[in-house]
Amino acid sequence: MTGPIDLEVRDVARSFGGFRAVQGVSFEIPKGSFFSILGPSGCGKTTLLRMIAGFLEPDAGDILIGGRSMLGVPPNRRPVNLIFQHLALFPMMSVAENVAYGLRRRGVGRAEIRERVEGMLTRIGLPGTGEKRIDQLSGGQKQRIAIARCLVLEPTALLLDEPLGALDLKLREQMKVELKLLQEQIGTTFVYITHDQSEALVMSDQVAVMNEGRFEQVDTPQGLYYRPQTAFVAGFVGESNRWQGAVAAAAGEEVRVRTREGMDLVARMADGLTAGHPVEVFVRPEGITLARAEAELGALPNRLAGTVETVLFDGAKSRVMVREARTGGEITAALPQSGRCADLAPGQTVHLGWEAGGGVCFRRAE
Amino acid sequence: MSVRAQRLLGLAVFLTPALLWLLLLIVLPHVDLLLLSIRPKGGAGAVSPANYTRFFAEPIYWNTFARTAAYSILATFLTLLIAFPVAYYIAKVARGRAKGIMFLLCLLPFWVSELVRVYGWMILLRESGILSGLLVWTGLLPRPVEMLYNDLAILIGLVYTSMLFMVVPLVTVLDSLDDSLIEAAYDLGGTAPSILREIVIPHAMPGIAAGSIVVFMLTLGNYLTPALLGGKESLWFTEQIYNQFIIRFNWEQGSAFGFLLLILSSAIVWVGLRLTGQTLASAVQTR
Repeated sequence: MTGPIDLEVRDVARSFGGFRAVQGVSFEIPKGSFFSILGPSGCGKTTLLRMIAGFLEPDAGDILIGGRSMLGVPPNRRPVNLIFQHLALFPMMSVAENVAYGLRRRGVGRAEIRERVEGMLTRIGLPGTGEKRIDQLSGGQKQRIAIARCLVLEPTALLLDEPLGALDLKLREQMKVELKLLQEQIGTTFVYITHDQSEALVMSDQVAVMNEGRFEQVDTPQGLYYRPQTAFVAGFVGESNRWQGAVAAAAGEEVRVRTREGMDLVARMADGLTAGHPVEVFVRPEGITLARAEAELGALPNRLAGTVETVLFDGAKSRVMVREARTGGEITAALPQSGRCADLAPGQTVHLGWEAGGGVCFRRAE
Repeated sequence: MSVRAQRLLGLAVFLTPALLWLLLLIVLPHVDLLLLSIRPKGGAGAVSPANYTRFFAEPIYWNTFARTAAYSILATFLTLLIAFPVAYYIAKVARGRAKGIMFLLCLLPFWVSELVRVYGWMILLRESGILSGLLVWTGLLPRPVEMLYNDLAILIGLVYTSMLFMVVPLVTVLDSLDDSLIEAAYDLGGTAPSILREIVIPHAMPGIAAGSIVVFMLTLGNYLTPALLGGKESLWFTEQIYNQFIIRFNWEQGSAFGFLLLILSSAIVWVGLRLTGQTLASAVQTR
């Protein structure tokens, strides 16, 4: 996807007192894409978003929207709009007045405002709700009105500050799909910040993983999941078994690692490592094959045997915790969907195996 | 049944002081005043509305009332105008300790009695006072000028005396305004005046109503400030009531004036609430 660039951030930094909230972040967002910034709380993502919206000025760097530098431009003159975490709908106004607010401020004529507001309400699937008060709306409806209030202004980009955070789980799942479909339908660039990886992975074309004020990796959701570039991304996106150890031998893409517990593993190497380097190995539970007999594992290079500690049944996301027989290390593996191991019980012996590429290995700071 | 009886007993215990206070200090005296006001002077003779009709018949009485009401409305409005930015700053701009200190500064003048506060203004404004002396010293005035005993002095005193009663409800109501509403309006293209008009003031309306009612009632019923800063000719309605009771010893007429003050000021508050689309309930329970 290489269309025109809607939003460009160049080497932006911002500190509060001595705390460096955002340090040297750069990225470009092509027109019409859904871009997420994913990171734990306190990683600087809200600061970054507020700089794009114009509520904060960067200490260094530049922000370009539609090719124009936004330095010194106040929020009410920027062609981007922000959806607040708690939506910030105006309770003193009706739904229609909320959606019309920005148009009125631009001095659009009354008849045109009425037409555009009703058109917008129809597009978000809430026609005829204009006369309602804000407190008469459900959580999902409020969400859509907040989006309508911004989109009616036809912004270059829509910025969303964890707007699903306040919803209950079921509605959140539903809104995830709805937001994605809405974005595809209207084609506006969305910049979405969240600490919830599932929101970021499901909705986005591109995700930037942010940590301690920096971008760790900017990639497609698949790229982040299958080819993490840093230990932080490997640990933050998706679930992982995580072992510390040292490189025993390196050959091409593959490394042989001996973990602290004494397990010998073969994994893919992310950066140049040689024997003796302290490393961390990440293996996804869903990449591990679970078998009752060792023969079922075939030729998998990593194979371990152990006893079942606990079965955490959670439908499609069920997990088995296994204690490795030789070293006592703990491993979490996904329960196969086939129901083959549905009757697994604590105390039983199982065999685990995975491909060399199923594990990824990063240098560990000492 | 016994649970209900217990609950009723509990309610009675808690309500008794308040009910006693209401009955003994508010209802009973007012009933007595009402009975007094419908009798002719001296207390003897038949019930008649003469004391009330006299208010409308004598221009000096209702003119004084109209003047008092108009100045009270003006004083309320000026207090609101001055208190709003102060309250906004305390509620929305100041953070942490500064907030508490500024609130305390607003409260500080109320630690001394109204008399002392009014004397403070007299020291500043009188002919031999500080302001006059300063202006003469800088050469702006050729000779000292009397700045007391006029309507402006009354207004200054009334606004100063009322500030706190406006600031407190405004700070409360502005504190409850979510900052993100202001930011959202700004983000959607709002400018400072339009955000004030469309977001901040509508939200603050119950607080504005509450503060205005309190300030208006206090101002209208104020005796000390107009008498001291306005002098003999202050023509404040409370002074008329005072004159009837104390100077003319006409308690019947004084009671009638007292009742008229209560009824007319309530009517003005009611009209004010209707005009701004507020209800007494929302003003009283300013979030």
